[in-house]
Amino acid sequence: MTRARVLHAQLHLLDRQVVHDRDGRLVCKVDDLELDFDDQGRPYVTAILMGPLALGPRVGGVLGRLMEGAARLLGAEAPPRIPMADVSRVASAVHVGGDLERPALERWVRTHLIEPIPGARHEAE
Amino acid sequence: MKKFLGITLGILTAIGGFVDIGDLVANALVGSRFGMSLAWVVLLGVVGICVFAEMSGRIAAVSGRAVFDLVRERLGPKAGLANLGASFFILGMTVAAEIGGAALALELATGVNYLLCVPAVAFAAWLVMWRVKFETLERVFGLAGLALVIFVVALWQLGPDWAQLWHQASHPVPPQDEGVPTYLYYAIALLGGAMTPYEVFFFSSGGVEEKWTRRDLSVSRANVLIGFPLGGLLSLAIAACAATVLLPAHVQVDSLDQMVLPVALGAGQVGLALVILGVFAATFGATLEVALSSGYSLSQYFGWQWGKFVRPREAARFHATILVVMIVATALILTTVDPIMVTEYSLVFSAAALPLTYLPVLMIANDRDYMQDKVNGVFSNTLGTIFMILLVAVSIAAIPLMLATKAGQ
Repeated sequence: MTRARVLHAQLHLLDRQVVHDRDGRLVCKVDDLELDFDDQGRPYVTAILMGPLALGPRVGGVLGRLMEGAARLLGAEAPPRIPMADVSRVASAVHVGGDLERPALERWVRTHLIEPIPGARHEAE
Repeated sequence: MKKFLGITLGILTAIGGFVDIGDLVANALVGSRFGMSLAWVVLLGVVGICVFAEMSGRIAAVSGRAVFDLVRERLGPKAGLANLGASFFILGMTVAAEIGGAALALELATGVNYLLCVPAVAFAAWLVMWRVKFETLERVFGLAGLALVIFVVALWQLGPDWAQLWHQASHPVPPQDEGVPTYLYYAIALLGGAMTPYEVFFFSSGGVEEKWTRRDLSVSRANVLIGFPLGGLLSLAIAACAATVLLPAHVQVDSLDQMVLPVALGAGQVGLALVILGVFAATFGATLEVALSSGYSLSQYFGWQWGKFVRPREAARFHATILVVMIVATALILTTVDPIMVTEYSLVFSAAALPLTYLPVLMIANDRDYMQDKVNGVFSNTLGTIFMILLVAVSIAAIPLMLATKAGQ
């Protein structure tokens, strides 16, 4: 039996790459964490938060507010979350399962900019 | 043969780092002004880039994470963003300069004004990044860039005074008519050229593109140990050619045609044709390397899907970044700004940003969470730490020296 690993939220989770278990797709970074408190008032992590609405406040300043503003322009209201129950492994990346929506910016860029260019749906040759 | 083709990533990376347009001219300029008295900087740069490229290749093979993932992970979002901003600015300027350099090579070959070639070069480069497989891209441009070996041949043909070149190289002091600050300024520019951060962005991301695993650690190491010393050798040969032909004639290099002149004298018409091909391949390859690096670094900071191993629509933000960078860079070079001046400046700016990129690499290479049993040994850590100290000193001195010497006037 190996001993349970102690995870340091700041060191092992924040800013790490999130990868989807099923196809190895790069999902996002751990931009922020959602915390809750148990009966004794100890904090525990409930979800990974992603996207500009989660990263903006951590960057702070003008750039941080720009990030948030841009996200709200695209119609985001709250940062997308991945519940910790979906996390299967924490290594050099955080591996998650479950069904995830693609981020708003990816969808927008794909529809309006990339897909109109011939060859967007094909493998490279 | 297959083994040899496996090391083209290292060759292309090194060519883009050591002999792209800025370095081609910087090396020839240094040779024509300082002889071989700055050769030690190139050797130092080769060792430095080998140490950190080996670490970043090993990290990519073991953990699947490329360099900008590490930057964000270890510097955090704020300092990581500062590095991203500085790197992105340098990458944009460099893409512009490389497009200009490839167009200048075409002008040398055809006599058509380089500004007319710029849009065609930029479009061709974008098309390659959009449609061509990563392995094909690195093989074609890595191998074509090897045409620059003609500088070594030309040096041999010129029959220089080897003893004198050796004397210059073994006495690292500026010649009588050059000042110490200027000498140091060019030392920093050469070191910045040899250790440009985008080399490790590209090399580590390329390792992920090629799906390296732990089994490929020897491939990664072979890439490093063959590619970068080869880049350094080409760099020294260019300086030696200039030191042999242009230094005695007191010609100061400031354009591409002066740079290739010694090859024409040494290796004739065939040599001239080869050198122009080599310069074109190297600058075009560097365009790809730098533009892809801009997509890699931005995507890795924000955690977007990136890479040419998926269809473009699967990595829309990555491809959009490359497209936008190419358009902006093309516009910049069409303003008739001198592409060679642009890179001279970007070399020094990137020297100032060096520690921000290499410190996270050194830290993660020691992190068992990422590396399991493949963490740095004593040798890598000793060299890595020595270079870290050197790079901090270089980054502090870079901008003040640039201002004090009016960029090496």
